[in-house]
Formats: sequence, structure tokens, C-alpha cells
Amino acid sequence: MNITESAIREIVNYVLLSVGYWGIFKKCGVKPYLSLVPFVREYNLSLCADREKDGRRLTIVSLALEALAVIILAQEENSDLVVFLSMFFLALVLTKIIYSTRVYFGLTKVFNRRKSWTWLFVFLELLTLLIWGWHPAFVPSKKVDDPSDLTEAKGLGEDVRGETDGLTVNINSRTVIDFFTKKTLLKDIHMIIPRGHMVLLLGGSGAGKTTFVNAVTGYEKADATINLGKDDVYNDYDKLMYDIGFVPQQDLMRGSDTVLATLSDAATLRLSSSVGLVKRRERIAEVLEQFGLSAVQYSLVDKLSGGQKKRLSIAMEFISDPTLFFLDEPDSGLDGVVARALFEKLRAIANEGKIVVVITHTPDRVIDLFDDVIVLAKDSSRTGRLAYYGPVKDSYEFFGKKSMEEILLSINQKDEGGEGRADEFVEKYVDKVREKVG
Amino acid sequence: MATSKITRRRGHIAQILIYLGKLFRMFLFQSDWKVLPMAAIIAGLVSFAVGSNLYKTMEGTLMGAFALSCVCVWNGFFNSIQVICRERAIVKREHRSGLHISAYVAAHMIYQAVLCLLQAIITIIVSSNLGVRMPEKSLITPSPLLDFGITLFLITYCADMLALLISSFSKTTTAAMTIMPFLLIVELLFSGSFFNLPQEAMPLTNLTATKWGLTAMCAQGDYNSLPMISIWNSAFKMKDIEIEGEKPIFEIMHYIETNNMRDDILLETAHYNQKSEFAHDPSVMYRCWGWLIFWTIVYVAIAVLILEFIDKDKR
Repeated sequence: MNITESAIREIVNYVLLSVGYWGIFKKCGVKPYLSLVPFVREYNLSLCADREKDGRRLTIVSLALEALAVIILAQEENSDLVVFLSMFFLALVLTKIIYSTRVYFGLTKVFNRRKSWTWLFVFLELLTLLIWGWHPAFVPSKKVDDPSDLTEAKGLGEDVRGETDGLTVNINSRTVIDFFTKKTLLKDIHMIIPRGHMVLLLGGSGAGKTTFVNAVTGYEKADATINLGKDDVYNDYDKLMYDIGFVPQQDLMRGSDTVLATLSDAATLRLSSSVGLVKRRERIAEVLEQFGLSAVQYSLVDKLSGGQKKRLSIAMEFISDPTLFFLDEPDSGLDGVVARALFEKLRAIANEGKIVVVITHTPDRVIDLFDDVIVLAKDSSRTGRLAYYGPVKDSYEFFGKKSMEEILLSINQKDEGGEGRADEFVEKYVDKVREKVG
Repeated sequence: MATSKITRRRGHIAQILIYLGKLFRMFLFQSDWKVLPMAAIIAGLVSFAVGSNLYKTMEGTLMGAFALSCVCVWNGFFNSIQVICRERAIVKREHRSGLHISAYVAAHMIYQAVLCLLQAIITIIVSSNLGVRMPEKSLITPSPLLDFGITLFLITYCADMLALLISSFSKTTTAAMTIMPFLLIVELLFSGSFFNLPQEAMPLTNLTATKWGLTAMCAQGDYNSLPMISIWNSAFKMKDIEIEGEKPIFEIMHYIETNNMRDDILLETAHYNQKSEFAHDPSVMYRCWGWLIFWTIVYVAIAVLILEFIDKDKR
């Protein structure tokens, strides 16, 4: 076969494939013209198949494969370099087959068809794409969300200010670029948290709780102004780093260290270099006592119970006496009694004039210990929004519910088993704030 | 509030000391100490199998030096392949709390240097006790054993830092342990002298610690002055070949041996197989050590750079 014939065959194959893609994209709610764009169409097919991550890898592998093919074609035939590169070419082809198979497998799920269709996709791609794209019997069970079609709930759009030595949060937005797509994770979140308050951070999966915490602590900067008293957290991050404690969900400590060594190292890292050895030891003893760890100070971390590990993890952050304290599910894996005791400790910390913000999925058993609640919800554009911030007792009236779990259900999306009323409460809260501040 | 507390935090040195303490505690209380007896066992096995002709013949020296390089690379890889990835989440938390990545890596470098040094000493002791001949001439320091020990240390340390680099970008221990064998094969295949590679692949040999280690060991053992026995051995295997009722190869070999010319012949065959890169010259040694140090620094620098982005890890 000469080059012209081969090229014509390639073009015809590409056009026919595009026709197949076109039909599938149309059925799945993806812009059909994207079926004409190489690489982009593979990615969009993965969206139809609800296999976005595999689609990313498939796109990257396809790009690499094409680039390598161009390099190989530019070389002399049968040269050593061609032989060498062919090895990588083969590896990429195999990788592409695997990711394509995963995407096709996802398509069979979305279209509620037998898994054996995957084989046809792999071996008779063109024909199968055409059948699935244009035969009316092949209908997807769900469509791809088009960001441009999504409407978002209205927002406050203004910063809040107040004479306070507490925490002032004014987040306009927190966006990320994810695989060439801009995503807004958080938007329009404004609040003032006074000192001495213990605040519950409530929100469903993907509502942006951790993103919110990271934005407020300055760990991942947002388009925002965060003030702790008069200090700007973003501008003075290096200075304030130790005045903000963050306790992660997992007990991230080395099991081979003793409790004392763990706390001592944490103190050396977090306390000022001007704090002498004697004072440092005093502080360590004080914190050990406060968190009920004195009796186990020479035990290895691996030997501690779940509750003790959790207390040690909190103590590591508390050693620097932070003003602002965030805890990500500190009660995960703890039974009711131990969890209650832990939250009472946190309440005592807040009573010392600190701000304690806690994420927990079982808030109702300790809700009496909290002053306020922040409710974050995913609106219809899948962006994390503020649905409520205020006293716990008022929140029941605001949402018309009797417990935090019920509130959570009311704001969760319908496809997550919730009532899907996030937009309603976001807008209701905005109206409430506007009414309050004029 | 906050501003009243703002003071200087502890710097890199204090952090290095903290992490050194942690690493040595892990050495003692976790299974990290096992790399030392493992080094002794591996050195013993290799010495037993291929150490008998090291620094006696050209072939034995090449094979022995290659095997010792492999022992060092193996030791280095196993020392650090999991050390960072197994505690990646902890490092991320500590970075958030003010940990300097450079201090963290520096602590690992110091700790691993101690391990590598001990392993180099263990390898020398075990090999000597199993009758492996050590080099008799030095090129850099006054002691031949010290020169040899430094070479073993530098190969181990270079491989160790390469494994540390893999550990710094691997998200899990499984991922790190999957990459390791692949790199081990590259180290063995591209050692340069032991396997015949196409000319185009030769530049790649500069990337491997085995090449520079093997070259340094051969240079120190004065490889080019050693006899070559493979041709003699091949001829010996063919000694009974008869041509027109006679055994010419046997007769020649018999003549050579009865006239005490065997060693001269072995040296003469060696003369035609000398390698300039194995010259018994300090500049060769400096070059090999220089490359090993260079790659060590490169691996460490990349590891630090990669770990600086640890905050970007997906939650």
C-alpha cells in the first residue's frame, strides 16, 4: 500500500470514528463537535463513561504516543534509536489499551449494557462506536454535567467587618485548575468568629470543609482576606503559622517514638527558640497533664489506645498555645464516652479564650458543647457555599429541623440521598445577613 | 494576641537533630537495623561465589569488582527505598507545622551516611575473612584499604540517595518497591564494562554508580598489570584436538609449561586486553569518586525539590 492510500484510509477511519463519538456525545450531553478534536474526544468519552480519572491518563498516554510516533517516523528506518524507542512505543500502546478498556467498561455501566460489550469496543472500536452512537436502543442512564448550564445560588458578594479580636473570614472564592478546567471549590463565605467560641463545621461530602479549613489557616491560599485579630493570616503567614493549630483526621505520628519524645520534638519545632529548656519542659509537663497523658508518657505511640493517640495528636498542636485551633474529625474511631471526654477537653480549650473549629460527622452527641455552627453546602453549580453561620440553637429554626444530621440531609444533593435544598438555604442565609447588616 | 507571640523559631540545625534522633530511634526499635546483618550475609554470599579471583586475574577482578558494586547498590537501595514514602503523610503534617524539607533530607543524609559507612566496613571485614584478596596499592590515601573502603562507601551512598529520591516521589511503599527492581536492572546492565553494550548506549553508563565503582576498584587493583587466563583456559579445553594424528595445541601448551613460560604468556595476552579507563592512576580514581559524589548531590537536590511540593498531595 502506498503512502497516499494509507493516508486516505487513516482519514476515513478518523471521520467514521468521529461520527460514532458524535452520536455518543449527543446522547450523553457533551458538545458533539468535540468528537472532531483529537485527544479531547478521548477525555470526553471518559466523562460519558463516568471515568474521568482514567480519561485524563488516556489523554496523556495518547498524546505521548502520538509524539513518540512522530519522533520515530523522523528517524532512519531500522536505526538503533528506532529500535530503542519502539520499546517505549509498545509500552505506551499497552497502557493505552488498558485505559481505553477501563473507559469502555465504564460506558457499559452507564449505558446499562453487558460488560462483554467492552471486548467489542476493544477489537471492533469503529463499528461499536457507530452502533452505540446512533442506535436508539443505546441510552445512557446519566448525563455529563455541563458547567456552563449550571446555575449558582446568589451570594452576599461583600466582605464583613467588625471590631473584634477574633477570626474574620472573607473568602471571595477558592478556585483550582484541574486538567485545564477551572473549578470553583468555595465561593462567597463571610463570617466573624469571636474568641472563646467552639464552632462546629458541618457539610456533606465534597462541600469544601477541608478546603475551607486550608483557606482559613493560610495553608492553601484563596481569593480571600483572613484576619486573626488585627493580623492578616495571608500576609503574615510565617509569623502566624504557629498561632494556628491544625489536627488532621489521621493520627499522623511515628509509632516508634514515645509520647514524651513525640511531644518534646513537637515543642522544639513549634515553640520559639527563645523558650529555654526548663520552660520547654514545664510546658511539655503541663500539656501532658492537661491531656491526661502523664501516665503514658514513656509508652510508645504504637501502644496507645485510639483515644490516647487522638489526645496526643491534639497535644502536639496545642503545645505552641495557638489562638485558632482546627480539628478534622477528632472523634473518628472513638466510642461515645471517649469522644464526649475529648470534646469536653476542646470546650475547656475554647473557654481559655481560643477559637476551636471542629469537623465531625457525629455532631449530635456533643452538640451541647458547641456555641456556633458553620454549614457548608454544595450548590447546584457544585461549589461549596455558606448555608448558615450562627448559634447552634438558631440553626434548628433556620433549617426547620431538630438535629444536625437532619440539617445535613436537607442540604445534601438528591443524588447523595439528601433533600437537595442547598441553594434555598444559601439564598435564605444571604437574605438573613443582608437583613441583619442592612 | 498573635503578634505578641511572634518570635524566631528553631532553625535547620535544631530540626536536623530532632530528625536524626527520630531516625536512630527507628533504627533501634523498628526493623531498620536489619540492613546491617543483611549486608554481612550478602557480602558473604558474593565473596564465596565470585571473590576468589579478585585482584588475581583480569577476569576475576572485573567479575569481583562488578559483584561488589552490585552488593553496594543493593545495600544502598534497601537502606532508603521506603524511608520517606512510608511516612509521607506525617512529613506533610510536619511541613505544615514548620518543618524545613532541607533539614529533613539532611537528617536522612547523615543517618544514611552512617549506615552506608557501617555497611562498607562490614563488606570489607566479611570479604577479607572469606579470603578475598584486598588491593595492595593505594592511589589517593596512604592506606589501600581506606581507598577501597571509600569507593565502597561512595557506591553505596550514591545508590542510597537514588533510592531516597525514589522514596521522595513515591506515594506508597508499594510504588517505591515496584520502581526499585527496574532501576536495579539499569544499574547492572549499564555498568559499562561487564556487559557488551552497543556504542550508542555507552553514554548511559555514566549514569550508573556501578560503572564508576567498578572502574575505581579495577583501577586501584591495577587491572592492567594482571594476567589474563580466559584464552589459556579456552586453549586448555581444546588441547586434545587432533590434526593429522597429532595434538598441536597440547604440544604447545606442554612446551610452554615445561619451559616455565605460562605466566609470560598470560601477561602477554593480558597486554592486548588492557583498558585505558582502568589505568592505575590517581586521576581515574578522582574521576570515579567525583562522578559518584556528583550523582549523589543531584539525587539529593531533586529529592528536596520534589518534597517541597508535598503539600500538593491529594487529600
